[in-house]
Amino acid sequence: MAGRAGSGAGMVEGSRWHKWVFFHVPLMVFVVGTLFPFYWMLVTAFRPDGELYRPWRAVNNTPFWTTQPTLEHAIYLFKQTMFATWLWNTMFIALLSTLISLFCGLLAGYALARLRFPLAGGLGTSIFVTYLVPPTLLFIPLANIIRDFRLGDTPWSLILTYPTFLIPFCTWLLMGYFKTIPKELEECARIDGATRVRAMIQIIFPIATPGILSAGIFAFTLSWNEFIYALVFLSSPQQKTVPVGVVSELIRGDVFFWGPLMAGALLGSIPVALIYSFFVEHYVAGLTGAVKG
Amino acid sequence: MAQVMMKDLNKKYDEVHAVKDVNLHIRDKEFVVLVGPSGCGKSTTLRMVAGLEEITAGEITIGDRIVNDLPPKDRDIAMVFQNYALYPHMTVYDNMAFGLKMRKFPKPEIAKRVGDAAEILGIQELLKRKPRQLSGGQRQRVAVGRAIVRHPQVFLFDEPLSNLDAKLRVQMRVELKRLHDRLETTAIYVTHDQVEAMTLGDRVVVMKDGWIQQVGEPLELYGKPANRFVAGFIGSPSMNFVDVTVADASGALWVETAGLRVKVPPALSGRLGAYKSQHVTLGIRPEDLRVASGSDSADYSFDTVVEVVEPLGSEILLDLKAGPNVIVARVEPTVRVKHGDKMRLALHPERVRFFDNKTELAI
Amino acid sequence: MGRARDIRLAYLLLAPALILLVTALAYPIGWEIWTSLTDLSPLNEGPTAFVGLENYRRLAADPAFWRAATVTVVFAAVTCTVKLALGLGLALLLARPFRGRALVFMAIFLPWAYPASVSVIGWYWTLSPPIPTAYSVFMGNMKYAVDSALGGGAWAFLSVTLFNIWRGSSFVGVFLLAGINAIPPELFEYAALESKSAWRRFWLVTVPLLKPFLALAVFLALTTAFADLANVWMLTAGRIVYPVIGTHAYWLAIHGGQFGPASALSLTLAPFLITALFLLFRMFDPPEREPA
Repeated sequence: MAGRAGSGAGMVEGSRWHKWVFFHVPLMVFVVGTLFPFYWMLVTAFRPDGELYRPWRAVNNTPFWTTQPTLEHAIYLFKQTMFATWLWNTMFIALLSTLISLFCGLLAGYALARLRFPLAGGLGTSIFVTYLVPPTLLFIPLANIIRDFRLGDTPWSLILTYPTFLIPFCTWLLMGYFKTIPKELEECARIDGATRVRAMIQIIFPIATPGILSAGIFAFTLSWNEFIYALVFLSSPQQKTVPVGVVSELIRGDVFFWGPLMAGALLGSIPVALIYSFFVEHYVAGLTGAVKG
Repeated sequence: MAQVMMKDLNKKYDEVHAVKDVNLHIRDKEFVVLVGPSGCGKSTTLRMVAGLEEITAGEITIGDRIVNDLPPKDRDIAMVFQNYALYPHMTVYDNMAFGLKMRKFPKPEIAKRVGDAAEILGIQELLKRKPRQLSGGQRQRVAVGRAIVRHPQVFLFDEPLSNLDAKLRVQMRVELKRLHDRLETTAIYVTHDQVEAMTLGDRVVVMKDGWIQQVGEPLELYGKPANRFVAGFIGSPSMNFVDVTVADASGALWVETAGLRVKVPPALSGRLGAYKSQHVTLGIRPEDLRVASGSDSADYSFDTVVEVVEPLGSEILLDLKAGPNVIVARVEPTVRVKHGDKMRLALHPERVRFFDNKTELAI
Repeated sequence: MGRARDIRLAYLLLAPALILLVTALAYPIGWEIWTSLTDLSPLNEGPTAFVGLENYRRLAADPAFWRAATVTVVFAAVTCTVKLALGLGLALLLARPFRGRALVFMAIFLPWAYPASVSVIGWYWTLSPPIPTAYSVFMGNMKYAVDSALGGGAWAFLSVTLFNIWRGSSFVGVFLLAGINAIPPELFEYAALESKSAWRRFWLVTVPLLKPFLALAVFLALTTAFADLANVWMLTAGRIVYPVIGTHAYWLAIHGGQFGPASALSLTLAPFLITALFLLFRMFDPPEREPA
C-alpha cells in the first residue's frame, strides 16, 4: 500500500535524467548533509591528538580521514572519566521514565479514546497542549520543587520530571492508535465475560503493540537525549547522564577535550541510534495509525 | 434458555431519541428479527439488551432477572457482530475458548465444547489459524462458533451477514436457520434486509424512527401490514401506492384518480364509508396485478401504458403508467410487451389495501 | 448499566497522567507566574517582596530584551519554515519504496535520534574549530565575513539555525511521510487522471490532504525550535553570548539567582506560543473532537 501511495505522492516520474534531477541528487544531498557531521565526529574520535591539532597545510595532512586510527580517546573516556557510570545512569533513568510514561499514556489514552465522560474533550486537548510547553519555561520552578522535595542530584529528579513531556505525546499517539481498533472487539470481550479493564488489558493492549512500541521508542529517545533538566538538576559527576557528563566534564573552562568528546558522543548514542534504526519503519506505521484515527 | 422482555424501553442520546417506548416480549426459544432502515433504533435496542448501551428509561428482563444494571459479562448472552470482531492476536481456538476461559471452565471441558462447536460449523481444520488467514465466510463461522460454545441464554446477532457477498449470505442464512432449529436458543437478530428478516424470523419486528411499527409472523406482516411503512418495507418489489379519492356512485363505493378507477372490494367498503369524498392511499403489491383477460370484471381493471420491461427469467417486472401514476407489476414470463404498448391490468380485489393519508394506518 | 461506572473508570485511568502533569506542569507554571511578580532570589535578605509588574516593566524598557525577543521569534520562524520545506521534500522522496530505503531511513533519522547536546559539540567542532586545527583559518574567515556583513553574533546565530534545521527536518519528514501513507492511494490515482502536472497535483491534492499533519508538524517544529534554545548556550559554549530568551533566563536564574526577573523573562514566550497554538488549532481539528 505504501508503494502505491508513493507512486502518486512522490514527484518521481518520467525519463532517466528527470529521475536523477528530482530523486537521486536531492536524496544524496540529504543523506550527505545529515551524515557529514557524524562522519566528522567519527574521524575526530579516532584521530590521534598529534594529528588533531596540526596546522593547515602541514605535510601529509589528511583533513577528511586519518591514517593512524587510535583508541586513545575511548580509553581516556573510560579510564579518566566516569563514562561507564553515566551510561548506566542514562539507561536507568531513560528506562524508568519510559515505563512510567507508557503506563500513564496507555491508561489515559484508553480513557480518552473509548470512554465517554464529562470534560473528555477538554482534558484531551489540555494533555496534548502540555506537550508544547517548552522546558525553557519550566526548568526554573521545577528546580525549586526538586530542591524542596530533596530530590536534587538524584536520578529521581529526572525520572519524575521526564514524564511531563513524555506523557502527552504517548497519550496522544496511543489514543489515536486505540481509535483505529474496532470497538466491537472490546464489546465482544465484555459480552464474553471480561470486565472493561480486563478487555482492555487482554484484547486492546496486545492489538495495540505497534503503537505501544512507537510510543516507547519515542519516549526512550527523548529521555536519553534530554539535556537541560539533567544539567540543572544534577551536579555531582557520578550522578550525571551521558549528554551532560560528556559536555560538562570534557569541557573545562576554555579547554575542549575534542577527542574524548567525540568518542563519548559516538559511544553514548549507539544504543538509541541502534534501536531507532531497527524500528523506524515500525515507528512510521505507528504514527500513521495514530494520526489517521 | 430464556425469555426476553422489554418494557417501555427508551434510549436518548444528547440530541437524538433513538428508541421510543419499545415493548416486546420474546418467548423462550423464539427467533425474533428486528428489521428497519438504518437509524431506526434496531441496533440500539439490541445493544441495550447486550448491556453495551445504557438504558435511558424502561426495563429489560432476561430469564427472570432484570438486567438493567448488570454489566454485559453477567447477562449470559452471546453476540455476533457485523465485522465479526475476532481477536486478531489469537488463534481460532483461542477466540472460541476466550469466553469459557473468562468463566473459568476446566480445560478439558473447554476443549470439548470448542471441538463440538467446530464440528457443527465445519471449521475443525481452521482451529490453529489466525483470523487474518481466514476468508469472510470462515470468519463468520468462527464468530458464530464463539457464540455457541458458551451455551448462552440468548444469542444476539447484529447484522451478521451484511459483510458477506450475496451468494455466501444466502448460504449462511440457511445455516443459521438450521443452527437455531438444532440449538433452540432464544435469538434476537438485527438486519436491514427484509428478505433475511422474513426467512429467519419466527416473528419479525419492524421499526422506524425508534418506534415499533408492527410485530408479527412474516406472513402476517406481508398479508396484513399495520401501516403504509410496513406495507412498503416488506415485500420486493415494494407495494405500489396511489393517492385516490373515495366516491359514491351507483350504490357502491369507488376510488378514483386520473387514469385509474376501481371499485372498493365489498369486505372493505364498510370501513371506507367514513372516508367518502376524502383522499386515501391505495396499496397493491406488484404480484397482485396481472394482465387482464376477458373474464376479468371491468370494476377491478384499468388501462396502462408500458414504460420499462425488466425480464428476470422466472418473471417479468413491468413499470407502467396509469395516467400520471407509476405502477410496477410482476407478470408471467410469457407476456410479450415492449415500451409504449397499451395494456389492461386486473387486480386481486381481496388483496387491495387502503391507508389513511394522515395517520398512514391501514384502513 | 454502568455510565457512572464508566465515568469513574475514566477518571481512575486518567489519574496517574493527570497527577504527574499537574504537579510537574500546572504547579510550576503557577509558581512561575507568581514569582515573576516578586523579587524572589536566594541572594536577597529578608522576606520576598511583591513587586507587581516591576519585572516586566524593567524588561520592556531594556533594549537587550527586545533584541533577544526579536532573535527568538526570527529563529523560530526561520527554522520552522525551512524544516517544513525540507521535511516535505524528504517525505516525498521517501514515499515510494526503492532499494536501500531502510538505510536511507536510518541515516536520515540519526540526527533526531542523536542526543542534541552531543551532536551540538560535533557541530561546534565543525563550525568553530579550535585554532590550531586543519581548517580553523578557513572557518575563522567565514565567521569574520558573516559577522562583519550581518553584525556581531550573526555567525553564531547562523550556526544554531543550521543545527536546529539539521536536527529537526528529518523528524518533520518522517512525520509527514506517515501522513502521506495515511492518504488513500485511490485519491492520488484519481488525481493522476485529472491532471498531468505533478506540480499541480502536489498543490491540489497532496498539500490539502496533508493539512492536519502539516499543522502538527509545525507544532513539533516549533517546540523543538524552542527546546533547542538550550543548545544555543551549548553551541556557543556560554562564551559567544548571543542572547535568546531561553538562555538569558537560564543565566539569570541559575547563575544570577534572580528568580523573579528570570520567570518574567521566560513567561514572555507564552504569548507567542499561545498565538501559534490558536492559529494551528484552527487548521487542525484535535483528535479529541471526533464523536466517540
